[in-house]
Amino acid sequence: MNLARVLAAGTATTAGLALLALSSAAPLGYHAQDTARLRLSWSARPERIEVCRQLSTEEQARREEHMRQRVECEGVFATYVLRVEVDGGAIGVTVIRGAGLRHDRPLYLLRDYPVPPGQHRVRVSLTRREKTDDGAAAFAEAVVPEADTGLFAGRAQREATERARRTRAAIPPSLVLDTTFAFTPRQVALVTFNAERRILEVHAEVLRQ
Amino acid sequence: MRLLKRPFRRLLTGLDAVLTRLYGWERNPIHQAGTVAVAMLLVLLGTGLYLVLYYRVGSPAASVARLAADPWLGGWMRTLHRYATDVFVIAAVLHATRMFTQDRSWGPRTLAWMSGLFLFGAGLICAWTGFVMAWDTFGERLALEGGRLLDVLPIFSEPLSRIFAGDGPVPSAFFFVNLFVHIALPLGLGAGLWLHVSRLARPVLLPPRRLMWGIIGALTIASVLLPAPLGPAADPLRLAPSTPTDLVVAWWLPISERLPAGLAWSTVVAVTLLALLVPRLTRRPREGRWAPSTVDPRLCTGCNQCPQDCPWEAITMVARDDDRPTLVARVNPSRCVSCGICAGSCAPMGVGPPGRSGRDQLTEVRELVRSGFPGNGPLPPIAICCSQAPAAHLAALQARGVRIHQVQCIGNLHSSVIELFIRNGAPGVLVCGCPPRDCVGREGPKWLLQRIFNEREAELQPRVDRRRVRIATLSPGDLAGAVAAFEAFARELAALAPPEPDRAAEIDTVCDPVPLEEAAT
Repeated sequence: MNLARVLAAGTATTAGLALLALSSAAPLGYHAQDTARLRLSWSARPERIEVCRQLSTEEQARREEHMRQRVECEGVFATYVLRVEVDGGAIGVTVIRGAGLRHDRPLYLLRDYPVPPGQHRVRVSLTRREKTDDGAAAFAEAVVPEADTGLFAGRAQREATERARRTRAAIPPSLVLDTTFAFTPRQVALVTFNAERRILEVHAEVLRQ
Repeated sequence: MRLLKRPFRRLLTGLDAVLTRLYGWERNPIHQAGTVAVAMLLVLLGTGLYLVLYYRVGSPAASVARLAADPWLGGWMRTLHRYATDVFVIAAVLHATRMFTQDRSWGPRTLAWMSGLFLFGAGLICAWTGFVMAWDTFGERLALEGGRLLDVLPIFSEPLSRIFAGDGPVPSAFFFVNLFVHIALPLGLGAGLWLHVSRLARPVLLPPRRLMWGIIGALTIASVLLPAPLGPAADPLRLAPSTPTDLVVAWWLPISERLPAGLAWSTVVAVTLLALLVPRLTRRPREGRWAPSTVDPRLCTGCNQCPQDCPWEAITMVARDDDRPTLVARVNPSRCVSCGICAGSCAPMGVGPPGRSGRDQLTEVRELVRSGFPGNGPLPPIAICCSQAPAAHLAALQARGVRIHQVQCIGNLHSSVIELFIRNGAPGVLVCGCPPRDCVGREGPKWLLQRIFNEREAELQPRVDRRRVRIATLSPGDLAGAVAAFEAFARELAALAPPEPDRAAEIDTVCDPVPLEEAAT
């Protein structure tokens, strides 16, 4: 190797390494604009809209022992309309439903909406679409089965408790968050569902910022 | 597929020429792309073992930031880990492109191609998880994109993306699984590498020491002088204006982010399918140039040389079905790539691809001598060149009065051909091959050198004047080197006495069990 070649090889190697270093951590644009975001994120059980009835003793006798429920319910899982408004203008209206092919899994929500920085009135509403004027949903609560005895003693009560727990864990028929929020540039304002208080709220971490 | 091959070949040849001009063909890293990738895997393993000691799944960003801030070891180790990843990806892509453009991706090489794709894919996933481990803005960006892509598949009961939404800290379990995948995949890479080279005889796994340590040294210096910046710690509730992105590994990220997840997956599936179909789309009929070698059992002496020389372990010695006491060579056509190296390894010329055995080569040269070289003029020097030799090099040699005789690969060349040329009055024979690590037959130049100068079986006979034989390397980008090699050879030939043709002489075939004429019939 002559000197010129060594110099050329050295220069090329140095340039190659510099290029490697540059391309290894190139500043690549991600969120180019200064806009903020309104993020909705939660998971919760959709309501079960169902009609319940008490099985007669004859009907129960026709079933296998392990399938002898006192109260039998049939129905569907509720769907909801999600409406997001900023300063009175709707920026998103969507129908959402439970996950899974039969929509019987929890309802998972993760949506981002761009919002210009500054103070804005934000209104997020989640409203059940199905009407329950026929009292079907209430009927599930209203059915009080006859008390079981013997081998199945206490079973009817357990069934009732479980149905009540499911109803309590589900999203209420209507949820609304109406608040005014000061968005800073590039901030993400996170709205979640507080399962204990059964309300929509702005995440505490966001309020601290 | 050939249309696709052409631009890649042009690109690779250009790059090959530039690198040869800079570093010489002996140190051209492009010829060592596969072994460089393996060397980088070892670097990744070494640096990774150190880094994982200080990594905390409970506080990933903080632990990596501590490492990055350590000026003594942690800082440059982390950067070296990243640079080695980049070099691994570049080397693997170059290696695959070479195999594709050199017709080395089908038939018996299908297993190597497929396992190579697996290795590359696993390497990319490993790199992906590695960047997520750091949990800076770039790691978060990769995780979000990964989550978005995985959420359209029916894998997770709850969408993965929700854990990055910000309503709670990202669970340690996520980082633990990520770390597990990052560590478990290299184990799979080890198994994949074994499969990748399982059909090769004498697989070369590492580059020459000087090149390997040169690359590692250069990367280490770069790691110290140009540390890879770590982005700010990921914060799901702040939007980062930009991320320090590794474009070598994640060049696709800005494209993927703009595509709907379904379309992104469709693209991935289409590209993967196309890559998996390469062996099918590039395969050639096993006839003519691509016909597997055959053995003439009447000529085979059972010397066991061709199985030793075969770079693909395609030849085995088996019991004969006649009464001769020796074994006989048998070619497994499903492993034979028609490189023809066995033809050069067989002293009695009993093995080789149809039309390229030692006997076929001698017949062709005899015909050439008879018709191509009129008896009234002196023979010019002969250059026996590989079919892969660059056209510019051949033209330059021809312009200097050299007669070109092409063979498929110089590893095919039977030493008797050289003898035949010289005994017919050629003043000298220059055997021009590819750079040893760029030979499509893998070991052609190595075996040729040993057959001519080191008395490897099927050697050039002692009666041939070695001063009239020279081996040269023709590499794109090194035309001057090839011309200089020839001119030096020509000067030495000029100093020798004029050759005395001995055209009547027949080439003896050593250990020939049956007369040539009989075998020919």
